[in-house]
Amino acid sequence: MNKKVLATILAAALTVTTLAGCGASAPTTSSGGSDNAGTENAQGADATATGAKQTDGKNLPTLTTEPMEITLWDIATEDPSKSTQEGAVHRFEKDYPNIKINQVHQQNDNYKQQLVVAMSSGQCPNIYVHWGGGPMAEYYKSGYANDLTEMYAKYNHPEFIDAAVAQSTYDGKMLAIPFGGLSGCDIFYNKTIFKELGLEVPTTIDELEAVCDKLKENNIIPFTLANASKWTGSMYYMYLVARHSGNAEFDAAYTQENGGTFTSDAFIWAGTKIQDWVKKGYFPDGVNSLSADDNQDRALLYDGSAAMMLHGAWQVSGIKNDSEEWYNENLGVFRFPEDSEAKAKGVPQDVEIGTAIGMGMSFNCFKEDGSVDQDMLDACYVLATQYFNDDTYNNDQMTSGTQPSIKGMEENIDDPNMKIIADVFFNASNVQLWYDQYLPASVTEVHKNCMTELFGLEKTPKEIGEEHDAAMKKAIAEQ
Amino acid sequence: MKKEKNVSLAQAKARSTARAATVFLIPALLLIAIFIIYPVIDTFAISGNRWNGISADRVFIGLDNWKALIKDEMFWKSFRHNLIVMVFSILLQIPLGMLLATFLDAGGKKFNIFKIIWFLPYLMSSVAIAFLFVYALATNGGIVSSLASIIQGKKTTIDLLGTAPNALYTIIGVMAWQFTPFYMVYFIAGYGNIDTSIYEAAIIDGATRWQYIKHIAIPLLGPIFKTACTMSLIGSLKYFDMIWNMTQGGPAGSTELMATYMYKLSFQQFNMGYGSTVAAGMFLLITAIALLFNKVFKVKEEY
Repeated sequence: MNKKVLATILAAALTVTTLAGCGASAPTTSSGGSDNAGTENAQGADATATGAKQTDGKNLPTLTTEPMEITLWDIATEDPSKSTQEGAVHRFEKDYPNIKINQVHQQNDNYKQQLVVAMSSGQCPNIYVHWGGGPMAEYYKSGYANDLTEMYAKYNHPEFIDAAVAQSTYDGKMLAIPFGGLSGCDIFYNKTIFKELGLEVPTTIDELEAVCDKLKENNIIPFTLANASKWTGSMYYMYLVARHSGNAEFDAAYTQENGGTFTSDAFIWAGTKIQDWVKKGYFPDGVNSLSADDNQDRALLYDGSAAMMLHGAWQVSGIKNDSEEWYNENLGVFRFPEDSEAKAKGVPQDVEIGTAIGMGMSFNCFKEDGSVDQDMLDACYVLATQYFNDDTYNNDQMTSGTQPSIKGMEENIDDPNMKIIADVFFNASNVQLWYDQYLPASVTEVHKNCMTELFGLEKTPKEIGEEHDAAMKKAIAEQ
Repeated sequence: MKKEKNVSLAQAKARSTARAATVFLIPALLLIAIFIIYPVIDTFAISGNRWNGISADRVFIGLDNWKALIKDEMFWKSFRHNLIVMVFSILLQIPLGMLLATFLDAGGKKFNIFKIIWFLPYLMSSVAIAFLFVYALATNGGIVSSLASIIQGKKTTIDLLGTAPNALYTIIGVMAWQFTPFYMVYFIAGYGNIDTSIYEAAIIDGATRWQYIKHIAIPLLGPIFKTACTMSLIGSLKYFDMIWNMTQGGPAGSTELMATYMYKLSFQQFNMGYGSTVAAGMFLLITAIALLFNKVFKVKEEY
């Protein structure tokens, strides 16, 4: 019997080890340094004579001539981002042959978890990419992100748009260099269907509802939405809140101070509107089963069963990739309509939902005693500001349909849809980062679940507001 | 071999066996110590801290996490889901496995083709199965909804994964599809272990096939049933991979299991301290249930 007790305990023990078993160390690349060590001294000596560098004549820190290795983690596993980002690294390595960048492409799906594991086991890469928001703050507070405020003020850098700088900043400190390009969120629509039914692009929410009703009459689903992914449904919620109250109510609810709450007027209004739309059949049946990861929302757009889709700007390149012909023929885009009632009360109607940086790069350059490794940090800064974000890089980005977060770049856009998206974005009075990136991680989980319940009509807008409040209060208390 | 004066042959043999056993057991013991015992202890140690999983400073907060766990509705809700999965797994997988095994045992070699086909699901990885079913059950173009549309003659949506009570039972069904073949093979092996002379004796005495199964085979398979149940029980209490890939605990936590909850806390919400508490709680609960099960269903080991 004892043996059996032991066996049972051991079997059960395996459950616990699923957690600890994840502690595998990150891929280490220690071999890279030695193979070019021989040439380094020679090149270091006549570095000034080895022809022009991309960085010549700019106000930048002087980089070390000693051999150095920098580990970079990104999620560029697929083209075009893979070749774009590898290109930046190659240009850097050509100009600074003594510095070797170990660029590791991680799978997006479990990247965040891998990064957490790497950090906790002392294997945090020197440069890592992230989406800003709550996790960036977490990395910084735990001591895995260098403060770049001074360097950014002192040295050359691309003229990032204000919203991008704001999104790379936490607690008044610049913590990341943007490189992913901005993404607005707008309504894509099927021009052909609109033309056939004689529909106009709506500018107010009332007009939008009229359009939806007309589409319903013709047996077309107004909005395609894949809400198994949850952040997709959240876009409707965020926009309705923003149109009804600008940033005011969300900002107040975020701090939970001065009567701020997720049950305030705009949140209830947005939730009620969504549930009203669900009941009227504005969304596909089984909306909580469709997944945006498999592009099941796009599929409904392609076969003409749905006419509109509220989504991020990256859909342009995705749809173009699927079928350029269909894209040119059918796809149009318009900004989220205005709430005329709120507008009359003076609520700004040009708040944009989206991200101004796409992704940012943070640096983890510390010596063993905890002090900043300035030599390495200098190199990282030059790589991120001068090789990522240089002309070649930005052109590559534009070609693949990504709009860099740099002032003036919007003038080079050819694609008519991209132009509209960029115009809307640059004319926004404020950019509200996706809730699921902006909110603390524990509240994000609650928010996403609430989106399922909201669209599934399982909870009332008031109930989900209360759940947000409880989670937010708890997160603030734990800080 | 010469016999030494004060040591009997039996003693010498015992001693050398002990020595050999030690040598052979050390590698296994080391592996168990590093990969099982140490992580378990470490998990319990971390559960006493407030720690985001990456920061250097872990704040020791004593039993606060455990107090929170006891009051954590989400944890008990996931535990209830685990219990539902457990009960249905045992009720579905084991009788079905037994049924298939009985069929195959009766058929002998000419049914080998069924054996192979029925075993296939178990050979697929859980992730692949998850994707397979997500596509098959998709409300837009999935097999189930499409078939329903054809039968009904109009567009019909059957939402098995997207609504609250359905999702959990759908997953139980998929789990049964995946694991029944394992128990089938297990019971086939059990049938194989029954001496053919017992069968022959029963038939000569005039027993029918059904009488043989009911009165002889099943009682003889008792211990195997019990082991199968224990395996199914532990397996369903710590289940993670397929459910994670199918629903990630959704919609709205209706398929949240203890393991998915633990994963979310530890790796998505920067709450490794509390995540470890959940893991440790799982460990205690699973151990308790498994031991209780063994106690209640004491089956005689020998024939």
